[in-house]
Order: sequence, then structure tokens, then C-alpha cells
Amino acid sequence: MIRVDTSTIIDASVPEVWALIRDFNGHKDWHPAIAESQIEAGRAGDSIGAVRAFTLESGEALREELLALSDHTHSFSYRILTSDVPLLNYTAHVELREVTSSARTFWRWWSSFDTPPGMEAELEQVVREGVYHAGFDAIAKLLAA
Amino acid sequence: MPEVYRSEVIGAPVQRVWALVRDFNALPRWTSFVAASRIEGGMPADRIGCIRHFRLQDGGTIREKLLMLDDAEMACRYSIIDSPMNVENYTAVLRLRSVSRERHCFAEWSATFDCPAAEETALVRQIGDGVFATALAQLRKRFGGNG
Repeated sequence: MIRVDTSTIIDASVPEVWALIRDFNGHKDWHPAIAESQIEAGRAGDSIGAVRAFTLESGEALREELLALSDHTHSFSYRILTSDVPLLNYTAHVELREVTSSARTFWRWWSSFDTPPGMEAELEQVVREGVYHAGFDAIAKLLAA
Repeated sequence: MPEVYRSEVIGAPVQRVWALVRDFNALPRWTSFVAASRIEGGMPADRIGCIRHFRLQDGGTIREKLLMLDDAEMACRYSIIDSPMNVENYTAVLRLRSVSRERHCFAEWSATFDCPAAEETALVRQIGDGVFATALAQLRKRFGGNG
């Protein structure tokens, strides 16, 4: 089992960051790796159990299920159902916390997953850099604009 | 039940900050308002149940009991036994998290307690700003003021 656990400080308030990342179908609007996305079966993006079907800019298709969403703790969890990228047993969590001293945001994004043998390092890097850090950078840039 | 929450970013690796704040007897080393502290009964400062007995710069005395210390989560919980403040059922948690990308530390300090309704606003401000935010700002400054 591989664990990726990364965090950063965003120079914007929790409500500002949450407004951008809360929508389970909204990642296509801010994450540079996402080409297009839709929620299956006409469900709302904030209904638990909703499935987002999306494709990456690099062409792979994935389906992910929303497992938990809290407007109280500014957090959500999701898992991969099917994926062209061989991430197995993948469950991820996002959490925002307020930095009260400076009205900034602590953002933690973490997951655990398995991979086919020999792909551990490559896929860990894809998840950490290509997904999580790229997401941090994109939100930071959007909110600095 | 009133709740108080304050947090701060400290420009140092979380392990370095934890090494300082995990010492339940170390308040005089990193806060300006605690003049002296001792652990009652000669107990070690990381023994659950130990009581720190400290004197404030303004002369008040506070006794607090260590309820939980977790090196994996980098958190501790304690309760107030005696203090000049008119609070009951007071427990607080100090928790550190890694800001891994910048190799910094995110520090959170929270408390819940009961008090007379008329004193709630003043106590929330005193504990939140006068104690937690002040101490966290001093911790940040001690580690260089970055983050």
C-alpha cells in the first residue's frame, strides 16, 4: 500500500478555497490535468455517492465516487471506481483548515492505493506532483489573480 | 459550551516545533506570559496525568493536568484544575501538522469550557487572543517568523 500525504498553505481564506474545490464536478474548471468531467445519472455534484466520469488531458478516463463531504470541516473523501491509470484501491481525502492568524488556508490532500508491481514510484510521483501539487498551484494561482 | 480555536503557521519543520512544545513543563521557554513552571510530585513531564503548576507574569497561578500526549499525531490534551479564570470543564488541545510542501508547521490550539454566560465573550477573547494567539505568534517568531 502506498501512501501519499501532502499539504500546503494557500494565501486565501478557507471559504474562498472551499468555494472552488467543493464541487465534485468542478475540478475540470481549475485542475490543469482534467480535460472534461460529468456527474453520472444526472445527480448533483454534492450528493454522496455521486460518480464523476472524467478524462485527463493525456487521454485516460476515470470514474470516481464521492464518499463523504462536510461543509462543517471543509473536507471530502472519494475513491476510484474504474481507471485507465492503474491506481488500485485508491481512496483520497481533502481537508481545509483555517489559519486564524493570517486568514490563510492549510490544505491537506492525502490518499492510499496499490499499483501493479514495479509502478509504485512512478504512480506515487504522478499522484503527488501531477495531481495534488498541480492542484495546489492551480488554486493558488486562481486566487492570486 | 464555548469553543476557542486559533492557528498559526510556523516556518520550521514540524518535528523541531514538536520537540519544544511536547514538553508539558516548557511554557516559560516559549511564551512570554508564563514566568515559571514545575511538574508536581517530581513526575516526568510526559507522564499522562502529571500536573504542571505555573506562575504567570501577572502573578496568577494555574494548575493543568496532562490528559493525552501523542507523538504520532503530535498532539496533547490537558485540562485546567485551578486557575484565576472563572471556567469549568476546561480542556484544550494543542496539535501540530506538517505543511509538507514548504517543510513548515501548522499549529492549532483549541479549547472548550463552561462559564457564566455574562463572561463568555470576555473569556473567549482572553483565551483565544490573550493566550493561544499570543503564544502561537511567539512560537512563530522563535522559529524565525517565516511560513
